[in-house]
Amino acid sequence: MLVAVLLPFILAVFIPFLSRWKEKLHPGFFVTLVPVVIFIYFVRHIGSGFEPVVQEYSWIPSLGINMVFHLDGLSLLFVLLISGIGALVAFYSIYYLHKSEQLGHFYVYFLIFMGSMLGVVLSDNVFALYSFWEFTSLSSFLLIGFWNYKQESRYGALKSMLITVFGGLSLLGALIFMSELTNTTSIRAMIDQQQLVLNSEYFPLILSLLLLGAFTKSAQFPFHIWLPDAMEAPTPVSAYLHSATMVKAGIYLVARYSPMLSSSEWFFIIVSTAGIVTLCWGSYMAVRQTDLKGILAFSTISQLGMIMAMLGFGTKAAVFGAVFHILNHATFKGSLFMVAGIIDHETGTRDIRRLGGLMTYLPITATLAVFASFSMAGVPLPFLNGFYSKEMFFESSLHLEASAAGFSGFMMSVIPYLAVLGSIFTFVYSMYFFFGTFRGRAKIDQLPKKPHEAPIGMLVSPMILVAGVIIIGLFPFLVNGSFIAHAAEAVKGTALEEKHITFWHGIIPPFVMSLTVVVFGAILAISRKGWTPVYNFLPGRLSLNKFYDGLVDRTERYSGVITKGYMNGSLGRYVRLILAAILIVSFAFMALTGGFTVDTSNLSRITAPEIAVAVTMVLAAIGTALTNNRIAAILILGVVGYGLSMLFVLYRAPDLALTQLIVETVTVALFLLVFYHLPKLKKKDQPMSTQVLNVIISVGFGALMTMVAISAHSSKWFDSISEYFVKNSYKLGGGDNIVNVILVDFRGLDTLFEIVVLGIAAMAIYGLIRLKKPKEDE
Amino acid sequence: MSNLAILPILLPLLAGIITAFIHKKTKLVRSFSQITAVINLIVVGYVFMTIRSQGTIVLEVGSWEAPFGIVLVGDLLAAVLVLTTNIIGVAAVFFAPKSLTEKEESFYFYSFFFLLIAGVSGAFLTGDLFNLFVFFEVLLMASYGLIVLGNGKAQLRESIKYVLINLFSSMLFVTTISFLYSVVGTVNMAQIAQRVQEVEQQGILTTIGILLFFVFATKAAVFPLYYWLPRPYSAPNAVVSALFGALLTKVGIYSILRTFTLMFNQEVDMTHTLFIYLAALTMIFGVIGALSTHNVKLIVAYNIIPAVGFMLMGIGIFSEVSLSGTVYYLIHDMIIKAALFILAGATVYVAGTSDLRKMGGLIHHYPVLGWMMFLASLVLAGIPPFSGFIGKLQLIRGAVGQGEVMIVIVALISSLLILFSMIRIFIRGFWGDKTDIPRPDRKEKGSRMVYPAVFLLTLSVLLGVGAEWFFPVVESIAQYLMDPEIYIDSVLKE
Amino acid sequence: MEFIMAVLAGILFTTGVYNLLQKQLLRIIIGTGLISHGAHLFILTMGELKRGAPPVLTEGIEKYTDPLPQALILTSIVISFGVTSLLLVLAYRAAKINGTDNMEQLRGNDYE
Repeated sequence: MLVAVLLPFILAVFIPFLSRWKEKLHPGFFVTLVPVVIFIYFVRHIGSGFEPVVQEYSWIPSLGINMVFHLDGLSLLFVLLISGIGALVAFYSIYYLHKSEQLGHFYVYFLIFMGSMLGVVLSDNVFALYSFWEFTSLSSFLLIGFWNYKQESRYGALKSMLITVFGGLSLLGALIFMSELTNTTSIRAMIDQQQLVLNSEYFPLILSLLLLGAFTKSAQFPFHIWLPDAMEAPTPVSAYLHSATMVKAGIYLVARYSPMLSSSEWFFIIVSTAGIVTLCWGSYMAVRQTDLKGILAFSTISQLGMIMAMLGFGTKAAVFGAVFHILNHATFKGSLFMVAGIIDHETGTRDIRRLGGLMTYLPITATLAVFASFSMAGVPLPFLNGFYSKEMFFESSLHLEASAAGFSGFMMSVIPYLAVLGSIFTFVYSMYFFFGTFRGRAKIDQLPKKPHEAPIGMLVSPMILVAGVIIIGLFPFLVNGSFIAHAAEAVKGTALEEKHITFWHGIIPPFVMSLTVVVFGAILAISRKGWTPVYNFLPGRLSLNKFYDGLVDRTERYSGVITKGYMNGSLGRYVRLILAAILIVSFAFMALTGGFTVDTSNLSRITAPEIAVAVTMVLAAIGTALTNNRIAAILILGVVGYGLSMLFVLYRAPDLALTQLIVETVTVALFLLVFYHLPKLKKKDQPMSTQVLNVIISVGFGALMTMVAISAHSSKWFDSISEYFVKNSYKLGGGDNIVNVILVDFRGLDTLFEIVVLGIAAMAIYGLIRLKKPKEDE
Repeated sequence: MSNLAILPILLPLLAGIITAFIHKKTKLVRSFSQITAVINLIVVGYVFMTIRSQGTIVLEVGSWEAPFGIVLVGDLLAAVLVLTTNIIGVAAVFFAPKSLTEKEESFYFYSFFFLLIAGVSGAFLTGDLFNLFVFFEVLLMASYGLIVLGNGKAQLRESIKYVLINLFSSMLFVTTISFLYSVVGTVNMAQIAQRVQEVEQQGILTTIGILLFFVFATKAAVFPLYYWLPRPYSAPNAVVSALFGALLTKVGIYSILRTFTLMFNQEVDMTHTLFIYLAALTMIFGVIGALSTHNVKLIVAYNIIPAVGFMLMGIGIFSEVSLSGTVYYLIHDMIIKAALFILAGATVYVAGTSDLRKMGGLIHHYPVLGWMMFLASLVLAGIPPFSGFIGKLQLIRGAVGQGEVMIVIVALISSLLILFSMIRIFIRGFWGDKTDIPRPDRKEKGSRMVYPAVFLLTLSVLLGVGAEWFFPVVESIAQYLMDPEIYIDSVLKE
Repeated sequence: MEFIMAVLAGILFTTGVYNLLQKQLLRIIIGTGLISHGAHLFILTMGELKRGAPPVLTEGIEKYTDPLPQALILTSIVISFGVTSLLLVLAYRAAKINGTDNMEQLRGNDYE
């Protein structure tokens, strides 16, 4: 299986070379081969005797990150979808994308996506899963931005990336929590030890993070807003990523973790609510769209909501319906996207208001669209697969297994009504899509191109999908026992008894619900024009989008405001903030740890000369701050320096005294030299409050240093290593002057690099003075 | 054998001196530097392999026994960081001729460069606190030389702020060392560690530790001490920015890591809890900064800060897992920051502006640059399977292990915003209409500027995909850091 | 005496920091000068003051003042000197090129 997952990546590397000959041979042909091979490789697993397969390859075992592929019923369903639809879409794209496009880029992204998506559904290792997960988001980003010269594409790409990567990171958080709690990185092992997660104090957090990941990816309300904008991608991409596969990754994740999470009541409440709300909202919003792909995008959102809701119900029937609908949705929605692509390609527009009456111009396309859209609507006809799963949805909504108390009790009572409501709108937009495009009065002369039937190459893929719709509709048992049941079994975690799918059950409640949908749907669809104000009444999509735009916009704007607020380039401001932080924290620590100690037992005597020097230095130091004469300020600084050198003498440090004397003299000279050329000192022109703050900070800082110094001096707990220097200075170092011996011998490395520092300073100064910047770059 | 420990300092020192004497012959000094940098990398690689197979190398400089003389401690942590430093050095030295004018090159660029490497390597290797101060000064002085190189107007202005802040923190550093000396009577780090452990009453030591933390935190750009960083880092030449972004803050982080695992590990509840909060604030304010500007170089410069937050987070959580995260992140961040600054420099150069709002469609003319920028953004944001992810994963694992939920959430949100801040460069600067090429005269040189970044990014990808080759080393470093006795014993030989 | 010296060094820090917070470069650099003086005095005080002869070996004297802080101060003085010189020249150049030595006018903007 490793080869299967890596195959797309490997080919992706070669695509740039293959696309050099794109004038002669469309690289799409090579790309189509890959999913075909993968499909054939996996399709052999179909059958009632299917057993899960595990293959392990080590990758980063020391971090528990390995390529562990686990093929169970659920994975198999997804793998076949990914490779099957992938092959059809790749083939379709050959006719859709003109050779003048950047085909190399397109197919590289496409293959990266395919490989990553296979990785997501096959990985048993959570971190491998996460890696592939993020790569699906990234390839989606690149594909949406494929026509990046369009502002809308860039906008949509960024939006989808922000929302899905946000979800990806929450997912990462959830996975890390779970893997730390269960001490494993394998999903199967986690599920085996589910009690550790379910009983953990972090469970609410884990559940929310995980579902955030799933909901963002699967475009559940209110995170669905990225999906309509993702329609900026080329249509094959919309059909593949944003309808059949990638958006189902969130569904996959919820399904994958269902055995662990579905026992939690919160799982039922959150997932069902999100699903049902998304279903209703998406289908309602779809009706008001004018772009064909817009209708399909919202339709996808609503269908995903329906699947999600069924997973939330968690009953056997619901799970079976969910899994079945994953397959059915892929068939009819994939073909509808391709139909939309054909219409766009052949007429030059996707605006449903400009279309109409295309039945006579594109008869084959129209036929395909009939089957697909009626199947999507759930019309009770025995050859439409959409009806079966829709009816399972109704049925399961009537038989929820949750505690009747509290919120879940309330939900149990409203879910069936909401299910019918959402389905009515589904019926309406399905009819709207078909009749709006293919029936009614043709406005051929207003179209950018004169429409005619698409080339056969473009029709093959949707034909195959529609054939799927019909075959599954007529012979549901073909897919039932052989692999849908295995998938449902994997989601439930226990074996399910064979569920029999039949068209006619008699007049039972679900059938009544279906009929209600058809009747009310038909009425609403026929009178759709009259309802337009109602559909447009709620500014729904707009408000959520506005929220997103506002959030992104504000993030940038307020970060600007905040940052410019304190990062204003003023050195004084920086130093004040830095010092204030040091002061507050250090004083706090000193207080909390009892760090301030005074011990007067070990002090030297106070003598007059020292006091005299000290007083002079204090006066001089204060003088520097007060004087407004620059020469005076520099000279007073010199006084402090000479005072220090006096102290060195008094404290028996002759070498220091000498050095200090020389250095101070040279420094003062340099000061004078430099500031002779600079403007005069001005009176202090800072506001009073700033000056007060300055005084507080500087006094505080001096006090802090003094207090730490006194405490440190009062806590001499150990003998100094200096004893060694005194003892060995002559014996080993060969010198009488201990300080000198330390400098040149014991700590010679310090001195060597001290000289290096001086050397660098000299070079830097030389550069400062001599290097003149050429004028043009300024 | 133990003399190996000084080679990573000595070789660049000699190279720095030699290049100072031949600085006027630009071509000669350029090739000399490139060859020397590669040789140096090979030598350092050998040192690393030796340390990896034979354990810590302790060199008592001048044969003065520890703790009296200065020791250089070539442990695995130091070796890894020195190796990374030299890898970046090689990339930088090959990038330099493309980024600098010939005049700037001849004004001691290569000397400053080598001495910076010497200072950084010394800071990683030394086992003596005062000697650490000296090496800090070496690397700072070299950085002063580099930051003013070119004498641009903005450059000089930002340089003053940079020099002043660092001067202040150096003075605080040397004062704090003396406080510590007063209490424990030594400046040898191993002996300090040993003696600190023996003290019952930690009060004053903790306060001194916090002062020391602030000294390093100023260099490392931890909240709320990073104000000085973004503009001085974005003002100078791209190669200088790359060196700064890759090396300087990391020395600060390294010092915090070393001091607070080796020496000040007694009051973990207080100090390290503080670190976690500061780490969170550092991440938040850092990304906010990165989102606040449209200046490509500033975006990259601001992105240094959240990375520092990530590394500090690991130190704060203080477990083996989280420290392995910090060390991995440290290595990753050095490489990716160098790459990013190089890419940002190249972008600004070819676009003729640093303002994102004036760019667009660059990818049509500079596909390699564009894709490298995209890749670098992913690496930086910690998208798997690249190097940023491994470090982040370990950090979050560590945090979860210790029940620090707040920092986990902050770290995850920061990752998203980091990606957002970087992808803006890609979307706004590189995507867009295929317009006329801006500054066609810069096409050839601009395209060649990318290669050092390609080299570094390849390493980044390897560090992620091939983490199995590197992680065991990092893991053993983390174990080693959690057990300071090993360090103490290897230096004091008890 | 040590405490008095600690207070003195503290005052040097105080005045140094105060100057550092001003606008004009000259004052700021004077501030750094004061701070380094304070730092050196702190180091000296942290060895014990006046507990013996100057650290030059002399026959018959057993007790010397702590030589290590003195060595450290020497190193530090030289380094500070290097930095201060660089800073002065830098200040000069920056003030010349930018036409002001007022740091509040040297804030700069993002696009240069």
